[in-house]
Amino acid sequence: MTTSAIAQNARKRIKTDDGFFLPEPSRLEKMLGPEWARVIRGLLTNPLSVTGLVVVILFITVAAAAPVLAPPLNAMADPYQIPRDGFGPTPQEPGTLWERSVPPIPFWYESVTGKTEWVHLFGTTSGQFDIYYGIVWGTRTALLVGILVVFAGLFIGLIVGSISGYYGGVVDDILMRITEIFMAFPFLLAALTLSAILVPLFGRGIWPSVIALVSFGWMGYARVIRGDILATKERDYVLSARTVGARDGTILLRHILPNAIFTTMVLASLDVGAIVLTFAALSFLGVGTDIGYADWGQVISFARSYILSLDTYWYIIVYPGAALILFGLGWNLIGDGLRDVLDPRMKK
Amino acid sequence: MTNYLIRRVIQMIFVILLSAGATFFLFNIAPGGPLSGLQQQQQQLTREDIARIKAQFELDLYLPVRFSRWLIGFPSGPITVGGQELFADIPVGCYLVREEQTTDRNGNTVTRPTGCDDYVYLSEIPELHPAVRSSKGILRGDFGLSTVVRPGRPVLDELLSRLNATLELLVTATLLSLLIGVPIGIYSAVHQYSRFDYFFTTLAFIGSSMPVFFFALLLILVFSVMPVFLQDTMPWIPRLPSGLREAMRGYSIAEWLPRVEAGSLWDRLLHLAMPLMVLTFFNMAGWSRFVRTSMLEVLRQDYVRTARAKGLRENLVIYKHTLRNALIPFVTILVLTIPGIFSGAIITETVFAWPGMGRLYFDALSRSDWPIALAFIFITAVLTVFALLLGDILYTVVDPRIKYK
Repeated sequence: MTTSAIAQNARKRIKTDDGFFLPEPSRLEKMLGPEWARVIRGLLTNPLSVTGLVVVILFITVAAAAPVLAPPLNAMADPYQIPRDGFGPTPQEPGTLWERSVPPIPFWYESVTGKTEWVHLFGTTSGQFDIYYGIVWGTRTALLVGILVVFAGLFIGLIVGSISGYYGGVVDDILMRITEIFMAFPFLLAALTLSAILVPLFGRGIWPSVIALVSFGWMGYARVIRGDILATKERDYVLSARTVGARDGTILLRHILPNAIFTTMVLASLDVGAIVLTFAALSFLGVGTDIGYADWGQVISFARSYILSLDTYWYIIVYPGAALILFGLGWNLIGDGLRDVLDPRMKK
Repeated sequence: MTNYLIRRVIQMIFVILLSAGATFFLFNIAPGGPLSGLQQQQQQLTREDIARIKAQFELDLYLPVRFSRWLIGFPSGPITVGGQELFADIPVGCYLVREEQTTDRNGNTVTRPTGCDDYVYLSEIPELHPAVRSSKGILRGDFGLSTVVRPGRPVLDELLSRLNATLELLVTATLLSLLIGVPIGIYSAVHQYSRFDYFFTTLAFIGSSMPVFFFALLLILVFSVMPVFLQDTMPWIPRLPSGLREAMRGYSIAEWLPRVEAGSLWDRLLHLAMPLMVLTFFNMAGWSRFVRTSMLEVLRQDYVRTARAKGLRENLVIYKHTLRNALIPFVTILVLTIPGIFSGAIITETVFAWPGMGRLYFDALSRSDWPIALAFIFITAVLTVFALLLGDILYTVVDPRIKYK
């Protein structure tokens, strides 16, 4: 290859003010900044994380299309309440005809299943709650809970961590001791306890568990952002901002946080899967959502009274369990890809 | 180091006291509790009945007084100095609440407490809450009496009676996962990207994506339900008991195997098998991954390259130069199993009806037995804080480069 060809292949270079040549930023980098561009490119070039992305996007699609995939009984009904076919105590196997209070049939149903009437695609639990409906709408619950908990935790963690890291001294000491108090309880134990206490206060639903998971889920973020802020606040541009008389709030919000927040954001996004698994565990144990709420853990918890006849009623645990594993797997695959991008030393 | 330790211990006491206070107030402010069942029958009960029942749970005392009695068992009566009772007529609680019926904004009749008809004075405590009933305070090792799960029984006895089962399960699981997980981690790191590595990486991935309760249910399905289902076609498959710690009477797990006597060693082992599998699988998945990552990091260090360059045998490089350094961060994880071993495994114990700590706690929590729940949380918090300190100290032992000031 001739030198001119190499020059043509290489990315265009731009000259900076002080005479250095830098590669011209790509379109992605211009749009998102160099760090996010690196993350996106890293994720899209790794087959494992692409698989994870596909799985997660699939779940998002199911959640968005829930009213079409599993239409609620009528416009008045609460869509998160699984419709029930009577009240019989015996679970019914997949393919049983739906007899009482049948929801409207969506347009895709006949061509996909070849049937003209609703059947219980994945069977029913005891009490005749439709498992298929529970899984479809449970996707919404899972995504909602995962994202809500992570964002709220991130919010608290950012406030505590950045105040602690920026001001240091006594403030730092006090805030970090408070963080330690929250860390003195094992996560599952603490979340279980708090949501059990909150149930009489908020009534059954997703809120007790969500609040409990947020309350004991922010400490990790606070500690990471604190460390990153400690490193960032010594940078020259922070010093220059201070010399021109910028206020603390401005320095923290405009100059330090945007440059320190990156790792924490990525860490948080990895937690969505783990949070949803814990939420399902809480539902399974029976603290949190009410019986018949569209939530995967809630559906599996029906199996608790049928443990010794699981061979007949396998569909109560297998379908929602598969949804849970797939969901966790998707987020974990993305998380693993992200970790490779963030810590390139670990790659070969 | 001494200064550091003193400071850490002081901080630790502070953290423990605050977390004890926070949990106590949280449990006591929360609606429900031991009196929640009363609400339905409130119509038939007189004010005096309710007062008497409340007094039974010490709910007639003010919250700070209750907290202090719970923590250190003080005050247990008037303070006697030189034969003279001090502060005897200080009100510490209210036995009969004065109530007033008013109409709120929406026109509903509500009962509001407006004052107190009968105060509890310090001098009345020995009579109302005699020392037998009251606790010496958790800091002095007395956790009070259970209210719902085993009414009237000391919480400490109840905890101790469950400790054996939990230790049996958790200690075995921890040791087993160490014995399996650490070697797998080492081998995976040394043979990175081999088939072995890929297999266990996949397994660890499944482990982190699978809910514990689902795995436990799957095991029950495979090992104790399916064999019964297949009895006609494949009668030789043994089936495992799906719950409890030992059987009530003898049973046989397969026709060709001898009958298992209830309470025998075999019976115990068979009951232990499935919960042990669950805990070991999840611990092993996490720990082998951790050891692998930290081994890989150390294998990249310059001194490992030097050791190889000077022609050291590979075994020596791996076990002496790499492994010993790679296991340093593992100390932190290992010490944190200490509170876990005490508090048991809530989900696993619940699914397999294992009569351990975790299940006791879950029972106490769902039936609002606050004394048991509080004692359990307090001990767990103390153990966690101690474990963190122990981890930091052990760090300096295994890695002399680290010094605390």
